[in-house]
Order: sequence, then C-alpha cells, then structure tokens
Amino acid sequence: MERGYWIRSKPVYTSLLWHEKATSHLVVAQSQGGMAVLKLFQLMHPKQAITVLYMPHAEADYSKTLIKVVPDGLQLLETEQEVLAKLDSVLHGMCMGMRLYIAGSEDFMWSVAKVANKFGIEDAGMMKELTGTLARPIYCVHCKATTHGVTTNIGECSGCGRMLFVRDHFSRKLGAYMGLMIDAESPGELPDIEEIYP
Amino acid sequence: MSMIDIKVAAVEQVTPLVKHFTFVKQDGSPFPAFSGGSHVVVSMNVAGRVHRNPYSLMGSPVDTGSYHISVRKQEQSRGGSVFMHESVEVGTSLQITYPVNLFSLAKKAHKHILIAGGIGITPFMSQLVDLNRLNSSFELHYAFRSPEHGAFATQLKTICNDKLHCYADSKGERLDLTALLSKQPLGTHVYVCGPNPMVVAVIETARNLGWPENHIHSEQFLSPGIGEPFKIQLAKSNIEVHVPAEMSMLEAIEAAGVEADYLCRGGVCGRCEVNVLESDGALLHHDHFLTDAEKASGKKIMPCVSRARCDRLVLDL
Ligand code: FES
Repeated sequence: MERGYWIRSKPVYTSLLWHEKATSHLVVAQSQGGMAVLKLFQLMHPKQAITVLYMPHAEADYSKTLIKVVPDGLQLLETEQEVLAKLDSVLHGMCMGMRLYIAGSEDFMWSVAKVANKFGIEDAGMMKELTGTLARPIYCVHCKATTHGVTTNIGECSGCGRMLFVRDHFSRKLGAYMGLMIDAESPGELPDIEEIYP
Repeated sequence: MSMIDIKVAAVEQVTPLVKHFTFVKQDGSPFPAFSGGSHVVVSMNVAGRVHRNPYSLMGSPVDTGSYHISVRKQEQSRGGSVFMHESVEVGTSLQITYPVNLFSLAKKAHKHILIAGGIGITPFMSQLVDLNRLNSSFELHYAFRSPEHGAFATQLKTICNDKLHCYADSKGERLDLTALLSKQPLGTHVYVCGPNPMVVAVIETARNLGWPENHIHSEQFLSPGIGEPFKIQLAKSNIEVHVPAEMSMLEAIEAAGVEADYLCRGGVCGRCEVNVLESDGALLHHDHFLTDAEKASGKKIMPCVSRARCDRLVLDL
C-alpha cells in the first residue's frame, strides 16, 4: 500500500455512540460486535425504545451479558439470514427518528446496511463500528458474485473461481470491495497469497 | 454569466400581493428543461441600476415553451419586487440566467413532506409536477395568512387532491409540526420554504425528533439588506468600489464592471465566496453558507448578502 494515500471510497467506521435526539434505537450486532453494544450501554441506557438484534458466533458470544444489560429489547438470532429477516420485519413498523447502530465484520455490516437502504435509510443515517476482523466482502467485476470473508490479498471468487486481486475501492451500493482477476495475462501465474485482512 | 433574453407573455394578479409572470424567449425558441425546485435570476434595469433577484420557476419542468415565476411585492424591498409589480407588463423585455437547482428532491426518498409558507409555495409548484409524474408518495402542507393570500390553493387542489393540507392563519388553523414529523415512515424527507421563523421551526423540530440532517431540506434566499455605505478595494482589478447603503457588495462590484460569480444571490449557495486579503474593521456576515469558524476568521466573505464596517477592505477580485 502506498503511504499517505487514502482512497476516498473506503468506508470510515467509528465507535458507536447514542444519538441524543433519536426517538427510538435499533442496534444490530454480530460476534465481537456484542462488545461494542456493551460499550454503548456502558455510556448510557437511553430512555427511548430500544431493540437489539444480536447474533453470537463461535469466535465471540456476549449473549449472557447482553441478556442482563438489555432485558426487554434483546433478540438473539442464530444466522445472518435470521438477523436480516428479523431486521426487515422490525423496520416495517418504525418511524423517522429511529437511529440504527451496527457492529460486526464488514460483511455483516454491509448486509445489514443493504436491508436498511431498502427502507430509505441512507448511509449517513446509520452508525457502524468494525469489530473482530478485517475480512472483506469482495465483488467480482467479472461474474458479479460477492465472496464473503476474504482475509487475503488474493482470493478465489465464489462465483466463477477466478483468482481475484482485492482492491481498496469500495462500493457502498454493492457493500463490497472490488475484485479483479489477477492472472488474466498469464493464467496460473500468481504472486504470493498472504493474509493481510485477518 | 450567460443570460437568456426573454419577454413577458402574461401577467396575472394572483393575490393582493402576488403577481404571476409568464416568460417566453425573445427569439421564440424553447427554454432549456429544468428540474423541480430550480430558480432563475431575473435581471432588471431599475432607473439605470441593475437589480438581480432570484425567483423559483414554478411551471412544469417539461414545458419548455414558457417559464413561470411569481413575485411577492415586498413592502420594504430595495426595489426589485416593486419594479416587477409596477413596471413589468406584457411585452416587457428582461434577461434571466439559466436555471440552477439548489433545492432538488432527494432521489432516494420514499416519501416527501413539503411545507410551504406564503410565497414559499413557488419552488414546490414545479416539484409537484415531478412527484406526480414519478408517482411518488408526498404530502403538501401549505400555510398562509388568510384565504385571499393562499395563492394557487385552487390550482394545487387539482394537482394534489387529498395530499394537500391548507392552513389559513386568519381562521386559526395551525400546522402542528411535532405531530406531523413524529409519525412519518422511514425514508421520509422534509422540505421547507417560507418565512424564516417557519424554516427554523421545521429544521429544529425535525432535528429534535432525531431526523438525520440529510433528510431535512430548506430553501430560503435572503435578500441583501440595506446598511451603511462603505468602500472596498479589489486587488486583482486594482480599483476602489463604493458600496452605497441600498446596494449589495456584489451589485456594486458588478456595477463597477467587474465579473463576479453567483448562483443564488441569497447567501446560500456559496458560489460568490471571495477571500478577504485585508480589513481593519468588522465584517458583517449575513449569509447561511460560511461556518461560524470561517466567519470568525475574517478571511472569507459572501458579497451577495454580507457587508462590512471598516475603512479598508481588500478583496481578492
Ligand atoms: S451567490 Fe449564492 S451565496 Fe452568494
């Protein structure tokens, strides 16, 4: 990576913070993101309505503590599909003034964002905290498939099997980094594959 | 700035204070199409002095045969609106700028709440055409002094049907902003155009109800105030310009023959921003564009609405 060079399309994540004026709060987290939720409740337990959707993971499970901290608003879910389906149904009944907070891997956060976008919630209207892993979702510019959880500089496309070079260019619409075939010129000739997004 | 030569094709008194003007091009050719919420700046020669006032285009954005504006006669104006009311008639020639949109509808919105006060209805007139064409979900809330001041209420009724909500102050009808903005579905955007207290009330209410900033839209062109006369030095042109009490700095600069950029002439777009190279007194910032920090730094000024109280003010123009 070139020094002092910053790609504008790369998302910037922050620490979750309550929106003071929100009329209700919706927190969606996965795995290590549970810690971000706990930190949020350390700051304050807001008086407005709160819904927390949490999906524990083999790597991290904060369910037990969360049950104690958020006794009424918490819903535990097992898979990402379940989280997204629940999110969809919860969003249906919500009004302007609700603020959305997301914590987890980039893969997870952008899947959540995509559902929220469907409801007219724009990027600026949600807060995201990256936790646990730097693994990237990769969009194959050749076959248009998205490969999740890529931790290396070069990854195999789950759609077409091409070896993709993981670029820094991020598409908010697709919720993924761009992946370009690396051995197009000389098939089979690959540079070293290294883990750089642990 | 390139201008379009127009001639007035029709004038209609809509309310006791509002006149509606229809413009056609001098050469009979069609106007450029525009998007709902756009405005043009009308340039008029008032007793040897050029006035340039921004007005929203209120006709259908797809009708390129004519442009429509409405002008409210401002009792304490510096002459522009009075000129439009008293001296402009069918056949009058004027010049206008190309349309610019500083108040466009949010493309990703799922629902639009439009709030207008008095003459603030004008930018919405063209937006309504776009909303109806796209079959978008919307509500129009239109507040005015009394039924005779509700310009276009009948016309709006036919465009909006049950989506129109009118509030006549004289009949004690009030728009309850908190009730309106607290039960809107996700993805709603709110737009306001009207008198300052109304604009401030809508922005504050939406913020206090947790609406994200980018879902709140307002348009409020300021009119350049009348102030103390002062002098400015233009460094690049190497001239001194006198700014009289009833002229804005931008107008005085233009009158001196120096080209300066502008879009809104109302302190909101930022286009006219100039660097202040030197000053020995107070800059009187009246715009809605510069941040408080920028205003305090004394390094920038918006000449379309702001003034100064100093003996020496050097601008990078
Ligand atoms: S012309 Fe728009 S701020 Fe001055």
